[in-house]
Amino acid sequence: MADTTFPKHKVLPWPAVPIPTPDEVYRGLTDQAKEYPLSLEAQLRQSDNFKKPENLTTVRVLDVSKGMIIGNWCSSMLSELGADTIKCEPPDGDPLRWLTPFGRKEYMFKDAETGEPIGLHFLHEMRNKQSITLDLEKEEGRELLKKLVVHFDVLIENYPPGQFDKWGIGYRQLKEINPRLVYAWVGQKGQWGPSKDKPGNLDPTAQASCGFVHGTGLPKEFGGRPTRSAMWMADQAGGTSTAMGILASLLYRDKVSGKGQFVEGTAAEAVIRILDYNWAWYGMDGSIRPRYGNWDLAINIYAVNPCKDGYFMVGGGHDRLWYRIWRTVGQTRADLEDEILDDKSLRVVVARLPHTKQVKTYTVLADWQKDHSRADAMRELLAQQVASGGVNYVDEVAEDPHFKYRGHVDQFEDRLYGKVLYGTTPFIQHKAPGRLKWIGRPLGYDNEEIYLKLLGLGGGDLAGLKKRGVV
Amino acid sequence: MATAPDFETYCQELFDHKTAFGKPEVLKGYRVLSCTQYILGPSCASYLGELGAEVIKIEAPRRGEPMRHTTPFNEPLLYPLSRWAPEAGTGLGFFGANFNEEFVSLDFHRPEARQAMSELAAKSDVMVQNYRPGTFDRWGIGYQHLSKVNPRLVYQWLGGFGGWGPGRVRASYDILGQAQGGAFGITGEAADRGGTPAKHTIWLADYWGGMMAAVQVLAALYWRDTVSGEGTFIEYSQVHGVTRMLEYALPLYGRYGIRRERWGNWDTELCVHGIIQCGKSSYPDSKNPQEAEVGYILVTAHTDEDFKKLCDVIGRKDLATTYAKHDDRVKAQNQEPVYEAIEAWAKDKTKEDVAKLLDKAGILNQPVWNAKEVSEHPHWKLRGAVQWIDDPMYGDIHAQGPAFKMSDTPPRVKWTMKPVGTDNEKVYGRLLGWSKSKIAEMEDAEVI
Repeated sequence: MADTTFPKHKVLPWPAVPIPTPDEVYRGLTDQAKEYPLSLEAQLRQSDNFKKPENLTTVRVLDVSKGMIIGNWCSSMLSELGADTIKCEPPDGDPLRWLTPFGRKEYMFKDAETGEPIGLHFLHEMRNKQSITLDLEKEEGRELLKKLVVHFDVLIENYPPGQFDKWGIGYRQLKEINPRLVYAWVGQKGQWGPSKDKPGNLDPTAQASCGFVHGTGLPKEFGGRPTRSAMWMADQAGGTSTAMGILASLLYRDKVSGKGQFVEGTAAEAVIRILDYNWAWYGMDGSIRPRYGNWDLAINIYAVNPCKDGYFMVGGGHDRLWYRIWRTVGQTRADLEDEILDDKSLRVVVARLPHTKQVKTYTVLADWQKDHSRADAMRELLAQQVASGGVNYVDEVAEDPHFKYRGHVDQFEDRLYGKVLYGTTPFIQHKAPGRLKWIGRPLGYDNEEIYLKLLGLGGGDLAGLKKRGVV
Repeated sequence: MATAPDFETYCQELFDHKTAFGKPEVLKGYRVLSCTQYILGPSCASYLGELGAEVIKIEAPRRGEPMRHTTPFNEPLLYPLSRWAPEAGTGLGFFGANFNEEFVSLDFHRPEARQAMSELAAKSDVMVQNYRPGTFDRWGIGYQHLSKVNPRLVYQWLGGFGGWGPGRVRASYDILGQAQGGAFGITGEAADRGGTPAKHTIWLADYWGGMMAAVQVLAALYWRDTVSGEGTFIEYSQVHGVTRMLEYALPLYGRYGIRRERWGNWDTELCVHGIIQCGKSSYPDSKNPQEAEVGYILVTAHTDEDFKKLCDVIGRKDLATTYAKHDDRVKAQNQEPVYEAIEAWAKDKTKEDVAKLLDKAGILNQPVWNAKEVSEHPHWKLRGAVQWIDDPMYGDIHAQGPAFKMSDTPPRVKWTMKPVGTDNEKVYGRLLGWSKSKIAEMEDAEVI
């Protein structure tokens, strides 16, 4: 499995620095002060997850989406919470499976059984899912899908608008076969409307079409451009919001109607929904939200500016914190504290919001930051209970003691893929928490099991389907 | 199927937001207590409110929660702030995180509040709160207390770092969640191209984190109502959510020690799939600098066939030969000349010019739209992604619609927000049986 020629540098084991023990974390606290965090920990610690049930064990999900992370992300939400989730791919695989940054094949992992490579982006969203293959381009494949959906509560698809309907496997047809089915379509801009999705539309299409890109990045005057998220962030938002719609539909089905329904989730509309006051502001006076870089239009202090060793965030939107921040600054730079406190125009919270006031605030603050490392700045501000912290690079995220201790980042030893460092599910819960059961599966790994279990197709049948290229 | 409408018409009728009010609501009969401030907690409750839950937002008397006092450059405000302050306004920072809610006031510090909260929790399905960890426990209204009053209660705490572990005392804001969780450091132009890390402009970690929390609440309700009959305690850490979003970054670092870095407006996994600058503004005569700026557009041509077409359009057939395979053009050192060639071609064009030429050639593209272009676009208007709402308190308001659509029980926006304490009589009278004089007494004592 291991490629001995790559990488050439020495890779530190994870964790490079040991995870702190409870004794180290709570050292120096009185018994009374320890009591609350320890009681929380006893309810929520992730090492106890497998002693507990899961929220969605009664739900079965079929994800036939491909080529776009929104569908995978949506089904991850459900699979992390316990839904029995099957990823149904074309016989040559979901195209995402083969994607790797900068085309570097050496980054791909290989599983221990088949040796088939898998891209890490795809792998990260294959959690707790089984993989089967099915060619929906073929009539026989579509007939099989109709038989499969009888066994499912949820179907997620992202084919071009109307494609499934034309094939006779759209919502209109499948609801006749399984009236309890919750049918979810996901995409960038929707199945209907003058700019509806075109085949091939991928995030950041949604990011660019919803106002997000225009508003992100430094202003032109500061040398910036409209900026996309590094992630396919709109797909992530769209996948999460669609999961809300799916869960609400299941709840309604099982409590009220007995019937499934049609859910449509788009990456762009999820981001439009969360673009705070953009639309109200435009509606009031025609304002077009400008880019404001790493500062905030509506809150001062609330910004990322440079420190000696990287970028650093300081936040304090009200007076108590404002004065604590300047007191902290004053400990090493009394002149800077004085400069701010002497400025009468900065005395009232809302008077600090106009652009010129923000420039003044951050010019002075950055003067203090430039002589501080991120760690020193944080230590001094935290002593005054001011929210602050560095812009973490990925290695710092992986080694953050808080994240390691709570298991936000963890290394999973997968039966097929070996040790995999990954971002764990944020669904931390007392009674029925989310969890990771396996990290992913090679293409079609579960064909035998699923087709036999759900459709009674044995080895001979499957061999026939394989020969005809259906699976 | 002879008389069936075509699929697009069918969908448009099924999902038309104007028919939403003729359809039932999915969370009818569920009551949510929202003891929240800022964005993360409020937005979680708002999403449940859009699905039809009865959401009671409980704020500090008089001033309300801090977000009401934030607004861009301290300019736009919606009046009034509270039932006590008709001359003051609510800042737009508050807008979008508190749809369809009833607004009551209560000072949690007071002993009377504990009794009121306990009585409200006895009749509620969900409690959402985002005070510092342990604060509500100290006030006698934590999970340990309220789950005894109501074992079916789904109690959601949300916040930056969580209530246990080395960072438990740290406060957080959206921007800090983005920074510490890792999304900030990988977004923005690379250092050698003059860039810095970049914040996602929306309060992404908060607004999207609220969605994550709402997903978890819905799953917990589903489990309660179809399986166990039990409530539960949920702890959502906003920083944790951001770390979940880093795609391939952690597996790559874990096995190979390779650190994902910023890659600006291009894509690390696909090429061509990036945002380029067009040399001309679409509105050269506009006095608004947002419009006077030059345009930008996303160009997608990562398949060999599309890339070849693109090279034809930009008059650089040579590139189609040099970088014939995707594995070639997606390499870091090869993306640069490819995008430079496209930008050079777009230098004398607006984003609309570029879109038109690419459309004609069958190449996918998406102009970078600003808030005005999105608001006025027929696609978003037709779909109700943005819509004018006849708000009973604030009049005509231009607002976003719900994040997703449902055929039978659609989410909807009924009203956008209300002043602090608007529903005191209604809620305390109906749910706690407080008389008019008791409400007045509590108000005088500034308990509510």
